[in-house]
Amino acid sequence: MLWLKKRSWNFWRLLVQTLSFALLITIPLLNYYLQFDFIQGWYQSISFGDLWFVSPLEGLERILVTRELYGPLLVGMALPVVLAFLCGRVFCGWICPIHYLSELSDRIRRLVTGKKQIKDRWLLPRWLLWIALIGELLLTMIIGAPLFVFLSPPGLVGRELMRLVFFNTLAIEGLVVVAVLLLNLITRRFFCRYMCPLGGLLSLVARRRKLRVVIDPTSCSHCNQCDKACPLGLEPQQGGGEYSQCWNCGACVDACSRGSLTYRWGSDEKKTQKTN
Amino acid sequence: MSADNKRRTFIKSGLVALCLLPATASAKQRYDSPLSTNRLRPPGAVSEDNFTGSCIRCGRCVEVCPYRCIEPLDLRQGVNAGTPIIDVENIPCYLCMKCVDVCPTGALQRVAQDQTRMGVAVVDHYTCVSWQEKILCRTCYSVCPFIDKAIRLEQFKPVVDERYCTGCGICTHACPVLQTAAGKNGKAINIEPVYAYEFSLPESEITAVDGGL
Repeated sequence: MLWLKKRSWNFWRLLVQTLSFALLITIPLLNYYLQFDFIQGWYQSISFGDLWFVSPLEGLERILVTRELYGPLLVGMALPVVLAFLCGRVFCGWICPIHYLSELSDRIRRLVTGKKQIKDRWLLPRWLLWIALIGELLLTMIIGAPLFVFLSPPGLVGRELMRLVFFNTLAIEGLVVVAVLLLNLITRRFFCRYMCPLGGLLSLVARRRKLRVVIDPTSCSHCNQCDKACPLGLEPQQGGGEYSQCWNCGACVDACSRGSLTYRWGSDEKKTQKTN
Repeated sequence: MSADNKRRTFIKSGLVALCLLPATASAKQRYDSPLSTNRLRPPGAVSEDNFTGSCIRCGRCVEVCPYRCIEPLDLRQGVNAGTPIIDVENIPCYLCMKCVDVCPTGALQRVAQDQTRMGVAVVDHYTCVSWQEKILCRTCYSVCPFIDKAIRLEQFKPVVDERYCTGCGICTHACPVLQTAAGKNGKAINIEPVYAYEFSLPESEITAVDGGL
């Protein structure tokens, strides 16, 4: 088991992301061809037997629009919320198919062009993520119909894969996924950084999270490698790992050649006060 | 400077248009229910007014249906994109109630088989061959899961009792009549969705009623 210890966080993340994406393909195939209903759904609602998960933002929209609480829905939302409360936006960083597809395209581009990464053209303030969350919820309330439930890019990936297996077609709303991936050309993870309401909600829940990336300022050589590696542009060297937008992907931990960046569990550091 | 201003107004107007697009689309779509004759919600669905808000489009009802009768709508239906629908002419609902059990948001409520009301069957007396006394057809009567209750025969003509009809659409699916005349549905027995009944009246019928008065 020694070989396992040498693997980087990037390796583990890619493994988890690949398995999560494979799940999205496997579930419809199992459901359709084998009538195997034990596992079902995608990242809007996924079930393993009687263990049901519901995406928190979709559930919140449903509650806001119908103005009704529904017990099973709250139970389904509980575990993802607890996960975000303890570990932050790990869904975004480790599971979300949009981040996976973006990361894959990044890797392919790196193989083809040899360039390490493209320039981030638009650097906008981080608080746009809160605006996206508030705006989305307000728009939902004004219109009286939930919007993220049928336009959420991570959900759309699952729905399109299901449609492909079940009906051998794709729906036009799949273009949203393409558009979100194209936004990566402006700035890396442009949608995830500034526009994703689900990411905003998970960040909001994650403000007092336990799992953080912390920097040891004494051993840091200010080489900026972590700032370049961070897909969200959070600048871990300046303590960006403390921001609630951080999705704990571990890219900065891998980029650091001196081991100054580490994951830490718990909030005993005095730096934890400095959340955004 | 002027180019900068131009770009700014372009982005601004683009953003405003983007914000207004779903609003106008939904204002129209909200009152345009995707339900129509023979296109129904799965069993146990909450009132159509609340369905769009209750359903989170997780598609688990689609995945669980063993008869593959439930299909998700797409963005052409506006805010109803992703909601489930059953086209009973294609595949009817056999009331296995599996979709009801997996719905995580209560858009589909648990309900007994015979209490289900997806719609109500309506016999078209002008195209039904039994009512026209052409031949003795009793297909809808034979396939009805609530035989002699929901559909009974009166003088060899099928009659629907809406107290018992669940709107499953098995009769519509089985009906051998295929009328393709303009303005008529193909089948001689059709399911009118309970919540969209008033929306699905064709224009001609409304004017006909008005003219008669």
